[in-house]
Amino acid sequence: MLWAALLLPPRPDATPPFNDDALRGLATWALQFTPRVAIVAEAVVLEVEASVRLFRGKRALRDRIVQESAELGVQAVAWAPTSRGAIALARAGKENGFRKPLDELLDELPIETLSAVARHHVTLTQLGCRTLGDLRKLPRGGVSRRFDKELLAELDQAYGQRPEAHAWIEIPEGFKARLELMSRVDMAPALLFGARRLLIQMCGWLTARHAGTSAFVLRWKHDSMRAKDIADSGELVVRTAAPMRDLEHLCRLLAENLAKVQLLAPAGDIELEALDVQSLEEHSESLIPDTVRAGESLTLVLERIAARLGPERVLRPALVEDHRLEWMQHWQPAPTPLSKASARSRNLPQPTFVLPAPLRLALRGHRPMYQGPLHLLTGPHRVEGGWWHRKDAPASGEAPNHEATHNVVRDYWVALSDHCGVLWIFQERLANDETAWYLQGSFA
Amino acid sequence: MQQTTFIWLDQTTVQPPTPTEPAPTATPCGTLLPKVPRAIERDIWRADQLGESVTEVLSSGWQSLDIELPGGGWPRRAVTEVLTTQPSVLEWRLLSPALRGVVASGGQIVVVGPARIPHLPGLRHEGLSERQLVWIQAEAPAERLWVTEQLIKSNSAGAIVAWLPQGRQEQLRRLQVCSQGCEGLVFLCRPESARHEASAAPLRVHAEVGIDWELRVNVFKRRGPVHEGQVVLPSVPGGLASVLTPRLAKPSVLISRGVTAGAVGSPSSSAATRRHAALQ
Repeated sequence: MLWAALLLPPRPDATPPFNDDALRGLATWALQFTPRVAIVAEAVVLEVEASVRLFRGKRALRDRIVQESAELGVQAVAWAPTSRGAIALARAGKENGFRKPLDELLDELPIETLSAVARHHVTLTQLGCRTLGDLRKLPRGGVSRRFDKELLAELDQAYGQRPEAHAWIEIPEGFKARLELMSRVDMAPALLFGARRLLIQMCGWLTARHAGTSAFVLRWKHDSMRAKDIADSGELVVRTAAPMRDLEHLCRLLAENLAKVQLLAPAGDIELEALDVQSLEEHSESLIPDTVRAGESLTLVLERIAARLGPERVLRPALVEDHRLEWMQHWQPAPTPLSKASARSRNLPQPTFVLPAPLRLALRGHRPMYQGPLHLLTGPHRVEGGWWHRKDAPASGEAPNHEATHNVVRDYWVALSDHCGVLWIFQERLANDETAWYLQGSFA
Repeated sequence: MQQTTFIWLDQTTVQPPTPTEPAPTATPCGTLLPKVPRAIERDIWRADQLGESVTEVLSSGWQSLDIELPGGGWPRRAVTEVLTTQPSVLEWRLLSPALRGVVASGGQIVVVGPARIPHLPGLRHEGLSERQLVWIQAEAPAERLWVTEQLIKSNSAGAIVAWLPQGRQEQLRRLQVCSQGCEGLVFLCRPESARHEASAAPLRVHAEVGIDWELRVNVFKRRGPVHEGQVVLPSVPGGLASVLTPRLAKPSVLISRGVTAGAVGSPSSSAATRRHAALQ
């Protein structure tokens, strides 16, 4: 048996030493390592013997638990063959319960380290017992008559002479965790410090459920020192493109989103809730050392960029079967799935860059000018149509006329310029039999 | 028909019969240098050769350009600067033969802050696909740099083409350092005025369009001897190859004769010029 005990620091006001929320949060996080997690005597204990191989050995597992639990505010971690023994070691500030036989290690500990023994602290001290070893040297019959039954039971359980029974923590169906911040926070980005703790818990919970989240919400409560017209709480919903439980990515995503939030009043409490939880397909590890592609996937980077710039500025194209150039393609935010059937490709020449709006060209004589005279090479390529395509907001009560539709009648030419390469220009008929030339794209 | 037959005959007569014994292999420097073991010979760099330190490259698509580029193509794990007189004139024409290879191997092309809107129907002619193209609309110089750096650091894109009109020297150095871990191609498109500024990019090319469907490229910084003159690359963009008549293959000739100018005008005048053109 390989037991770990995680001990939270006592709060400044000493009694009660731990709030239940923090212990529950810690236990939820610990469920990712093993299903055998329990809360015993104001500490979280977990039995990880069976998980050692999954987490690549005792050393790696120990390092990971110590490192991550430190971020969650755990004060001491101890390892021992029994759970009570591990708690006693953690309270005494010793980590390793495998260095020597457990009896020898525990005998040296002061009697306060076992909670059932600590209750009779005063009497035992007056008897001259300072360590657990001293207590064990007393005759058992006398001890059981003089003190209560639990003292001996806990002592035996700590030394592994009596079996232990635990009420295992069950994994909750949903994730919702609260955290009271150490001080009032005025700036939204500063919420991230506390939110990171909650995110670590959420990622642990997701791992235990073999799931990923694609949306979570961070809520904060303003304290009573606020203006009257401000609501007492605020919230921020963060969505991801694909379900995931990568802590670093979620943290960065939240940081980008928090950077845009302005807190109306100082916040004291934060709460994190996973909104959309889906089961996640795990990547199986390869036996053969694969060509490891360092770095993260493009989806994650684009998501982070979209979080800062705005989703409407990270775009993917979609083709539309239309012969008018403005409606041949439209750009959509990158995570939107593309339609399965791709538009038929045409072999007609098309420019590779287009202008946001056609640029009217000046004329010299009858020749269009754009940074010098243009030489027309091939054309005309007639594009006509769009009378069926109504504009979005037609003038009320007016019959649809030429102006209300996206109708185009254009003659396209390929033009050559001395300075700016091959251009795609068109000639359009205006009123009174006049024509105008426009530049629309370039064959860049 | 006759002409083609003639060319074919001509080629067969010129070609010598296949030699029965192998021709003696040329040993260019063998007599001047002391015998060097073959294993070491590869690692020797002679001052008149192009640098071989660039190991990972992707062919640019033109043999004549590959010869001038160290390692024989656009480098990976480094940034490449492309300088043009004005933006969105020739970038796709120059880069798309290489990007075609990236697309074929499944890589994504990310475009950061181009001056005009990329037009996919045209890009499909250049071998790009709508599933492998991302356009990031970054406007402010700081945004462009940040986005480019994030993309380079993540090492997830097959190719990154970024327009950095105002990139400063130290900012480019930062990108170059980041790009050493990036397996994709990184192109930074910058204005011609940057030519006289120092830059950390190990490869810098200047490109301009030629009238007769060609690009003129000068590799003015590379690991190796200075490249003088220009490489002329044939390039017909955007599917125009299918509609070009033989007469249009040399626009410079047409322009010098003033033929193209006549095809323009208001409906009445263009009819007159067409008649004129027909008479010619």
